Amino acid sequence: MKINIYGSGLSAWVAAACLAKVGNDVVICEMSQGKELPLKKIPIIRDEPGLLSALEMEADSGRLSRCVYTSLLEAEIHWLALASTEQKTAEQVVLDLQAAEHTNLLVVNQCNFMVGATAQLQVLLANKGGVVYIPDNLQEGAAIQNFSQPRRIILGLDNREALVKAKAVLRPFSVGLDSLRLMSSREAEFTKFAITGMLAIRLGYVNELANLADRLGVDIGVIQEGLGGDPRIGEHYLSAGCGFGGQNFHNYVAKFSGIFQEQGQQSLLKRVIDENEVQKELLFRKLWGHYDGNLTGKTVALWGVSFKPGTASIDNAPSLKIIDALISQGVQVNVHDPEALGNLKKHYVDEDLIVYHETHMSAAKDADALLLATEWPMYWSPDYQQLVDIMRQPLVIDGRNIFDKDVLRANGFVYLGVGR
Amino acid sequence: MNSGDIKAWVELQTHAESLGVVHLKDLFRQSGDRFDELSVRANGFLLDFSKQRITGETLDKLVALANQQELELWIEKLFTGEQVNGSECRPALHTALRSPRNDSVQLEGRDVIDDVHQSLVKMERLVEQIQQAQWRGFDGRPIKSVVNIGVGGSNLGPLMVCEALEQYTSLPLRRLDVHFVSSMDGSGLEKILPTLDPATTLFIISSKTFSTIDTLANANTAREWLLKASGMPIDTINRHHFIAATGNPEAALKWGVAEENQLLFWDWVGGRYSLWSVIGLPVALKIGMGGFRELLKGAHMMDMHFREASFDENLPVLLGLVGVWNINFLNIHAHAILPYDGRLAQFPSFLEQLEMESNGKSINRDGERLKYRTCPVLWGEVGSNAQHAFYQMLHQGTEPVMCDFISAAKRYEKDGDELQQQHKLSLANCLAQSRLLALGDDEGVSKYQHYDGNQPSTTIMFDELTPETLGGLIALYEHKVFVQSVIWEINPFDQWGVEKGKKVASSLLVELGALSDKSLDASTQGLINYVQSHSKERV
Repeated sequence: MKINIYGSGLSAWVAAACLAKVGNDVVICEMSQGKELPLKKIPIIRDEPGLLSALEMEADSGRLSRCVYTSLLEAEIHWLALASTEQKTAEQVVLDLQAAEHTNLLVVNQCNFMVGATAQLQVLLANKGGVVYIPDNLQEGAAIQNFSQPRRIILGLDNREALVKAKAVLRPFSVGLDSLRLMSSREAEFTKFAITGMLAIRLGYVNELANLADRLGVDIGVIQEGLGGDPRIGEHYLSAGCGFGGQNFHNYVAKFSGIFQEQGQQSLLKRVIDENEVQKELLFRKLWGHYDGNLTGKTVALWGVSFKPGTASIDNAPSLKIIDALISQGVQVNVHDPEALGNLKKHYVDEDLIVYHETHMSAAKDADALLLATEWPMYWSPDYQQLVDIMRQPLVIDGRNIFDKDVLRANGFVYLGVGR
Repeated sequence: MNSGDIKAWVELQTHAESLGVVHLKDLFRQSGDRFDELSVRANGFLLDFSKQRITGETLDKLVALANQQELELWIEKLFTGEQVNGSECRPALHTALRSPRNDSVQLEGRDVIDDVHQSLVKMERLVEQIQQAQWRGFDGRPIKSVVNIGVGGSNLGPLMVCEALEQYTSLPLRRLDVHFVSSMDGSGLEKILPTLDPATTLFIISSKTFSTIDTLANANTAREWLLKASGMPIDTINRHHFIAATGNPEAALKWGVAEENQLLFWDWVGGRYSLWSVIGLPVALKIGMGGFRELLKGAHMMDMHFREASFDENLPVLLGLVGVWNINFLNIHAHAILPYDGRLAQFPSFLEQLEMESNGKSINRDGERLKYRTCPVLWGEVGSNAQHAFYQMLHQGTEPVMCDFISAAKRYEKDGDELQQQHKLSLANCLAQSRLLALGDDEGVSKYQHYDGNQPSTTIMFDELTPETLGGLIALYEHKVFVQSVIWEINPFDQWGVEKGKKVASSLLVELGALSDKSLDASTQGLINYVQSHSKERV
């Protein structure tokens, strides 16, 4: 099939790679005014594991091409993967489609606009075809797998005629699918918001539990197992940590919270977002408490600055808040991250107190504390003896609870985790 | 004038004998363009003196009085750092606090402007740290609430400015709430402490001498609250929860505020003239350092005007002289301050201190008893609220009262129609009241509906209330007070009348707790007995 994809974010590029791979002729319109960057120069592509090579392979095969936007593209399927702020652009695309000669079109809306946006697009498209909503369920770092091997798909549509076409597009990705849920587009949009909000609330709640566990001398790890064992709760999204980040998750939760506020309703989510910002400074506060508020002149190693492992993105990452707090106190921060240092350098221009390290061990040398903010696999099992030798003070503050606290303590470290 | 040349004074007395009997409505009848003759514009301000019981001749004679009293010379003394505060042997250089960096005022071989700007830079650093949520309380969370502990000049000025300029707090700065406590009985703290989180509350101890008992008592209570809540050592609490704005670094250090948390000003800044110094820290926290500098700029513009404009168009000079005319020649000894603007609700309280603590005196600079009246009783209220309170007395009472009406010409330009309408309503009331007070009204059928009128007033207007215009308005009154002090030959910069009471209180504090055998006056002894009998009952 001929598919046009509109957008330049992660979901657009992932859709382009995956849809082309299964044989579609895909054209991606980035909708930007500027000139096209080479794929490898686009950060969102570069930072997502496997995406660059997948896109390059499809481009080489001829099934994927890039173009600037014109309204006269020949395609029967139009895939909107725009940013949540680009609703006007989506409307313009649909208006252009309505004005053109085509009929029997399928427009797939995968944008996180408001509840009711898909129905509005359908009004604009009128009798030229159907608009369906398929929420993206991409997790940064595993986006290609999320797209090509989904367990569940939600399909929101208000027009039965679009169903056949939508199913045909999704068919190559339906092997191993547990469920395909059909609902109205408004319900699907609401469901997407509700899922994301629920996950955020779980994380917020677990972090709150962890902070209480800290005070009561209880290990949150044990509590987490007990909680997750209850079938009514399940074990996902129960890891305590120093706050969630990332562009999509954070912005999306904030947007849903905004909908509550627009409707004049107090939202649990608003509180969760606010508390999450406080939680991002947790490692700093633990350091502060350990040194009784005397941090000036200290050196701290920070392992991991991306908002999660497997990505170079530092959007809304806890590490940024930690670094801001540390340098405000006159602390030298030795940072290491396998992927994200380039982005960090762009974020902090000419900041003398940040020292960038090639290896995580060199970052820890002569440090008064080691702060772990991102659980990259390479950090899980360091040479403890070497670490305790090179650090000035053997203080480890583990923001992701990746270390065995007994092992660290046996090796002579002072260990502070999140809730244990 | 107590001795020496009194020619201008005598001429004004003679002038008052004839003019004093003429009703304001007749003055308006006699000259159709009184407004043009008797209103003055400068620096974005309009001062309308046409509802004062004066003519152009009166102003000429008042200017002659100013010249006779060498006002020009005294203004130069004020600005150049001469010892205008004779009883305390120091200058009064609040004007230097708002001078631009490239100015220079030498004092004992030092350029005080350098010191002023260094102090501002340190203040800016603290302000930024607090505003960027990087000043941390004892558990490492950022400060969210700031409480200014101070009294008198360390309270009234910053409080008044913070309330007036609330709208200029930018959105990110609204996360910070700024409070003021002053009263020595702890009422302020008792009210706000339960609403605050100790871990995220920072106290500013504002005290020039760092010995003011009211302020130290409140600071001790605040510290006890923090110590109890945190279980932390006192050094940690001092370091993370107290900033001192003071002229006495040694005393601040002794109390527990280390040098890095001190913001300093100097003994040549009077308490009631200190909001321009680091005492303005709450203002800078509220509206940002940029807004604070705008405030200083507005005051500096008024300083330049005061120093340079000829007396017949000099706003502070005319405002002061017209006050002297009312007090000394028309025998009016009550002065109402009536801002028609709820944002200026604290402005009358601020002026009560500025005027009455400065010029509420009855000896001259040489220690001789004065033979004429000085500062009137001064009070006020937001005008539209006062209409429902004491305006009855202004309109139909037996006391002559002079009034200052104050209002911005425009407001709510970016807001809804209804709010703009409310501003118009307020302006209409302002103009109606000053008109009725001046002209009176005899249309009523019965005597109790009759309004005598002839109550003089000045109307002060400006474009809109901004940090800059507020700075100018405050400086206008500061200099007006100075002008009057020069005419009356008094030192406006000391306040010996507030000292003795503090000493008597500290001796009575002992008496309250002990069996007294001293020979106190019967009233005080009786009251002590009453307190003691009730304290015992409670035990």
